[in-house]
Amino acid sequence: MKNDLRVLRAERNWSQGELSDRLGVSRQTVNAIETGRYDPSLPLAFDIARLFARSIEDIFHPDPPVATDGA
Amino acid sequence: MQSQSRTERKPDNRLQYVLCGVWILSYFAARLVLKAMGEPAAEWSRLAVALLPLVPFVLFLMTFIRSIRKADELERKVHLEALAIAFPLGLVLIMILALVQVAIPLNTDTWSYRHVWPFFFFFWLFGLTVARQRYQ
Repeated sequence: MKNDLRVLRAERNWSQGELSDRLGVSRQTVNAIETGRYDPSLPLAFDIARLFARSIEDIFHPDPPVATDGA
Repeated sequence: MQSQSRTERKPDNRLQYVLCGVWILSYFAARLVLKAMGEPAAEWSRLAVALLPLVPFVLFLMTFIRSIRKADELERKVHLEALAIAFPLGLVLIMILALVQVAIPLNTDTWSYRHVWPFFFFFWLFGLTVARQRYQ
């Protein structure tokens, strides 16, 4: 899942550490979310959305569904 | 939705490290004492010395489990994946030993419970390294 977390954080001039403090998670977690290696839980996604005053869908963009050979 | 802090950002693990150190020291101390006591010593006293390291170990485990509970969601996922790697490796080791023991007599001086359990620790460390690598 892709997300705009890095962009939103940069807009506010926050470091990863600062964002992690605001979210109550570790800096590693913020980094893993930004790089797309980790998808946050729903409560954390809500907290991120609330922090940036956006909806979850505005920040997180699910990968397009894999095309299957429909029968 | 209720918002709550999901982690203690920088948990104080000093007690955990101290207990781990005490456990390791007491383990080797117990082995040395048992060796020094020799066979003539009463069985109950040998048993008491042998089980003494369990006290700091259980305390260490309690602090470790508490630290996992306080960790944030990614850290908990990493620990879960580490166990998912370490547990099957432990099973494989035990299974191999069991089969080899059926095939040939193993020397208990070199292959016994006291030689096997440290492998579980290293399997867990390996699992932890692999899991952490995935999310870096």
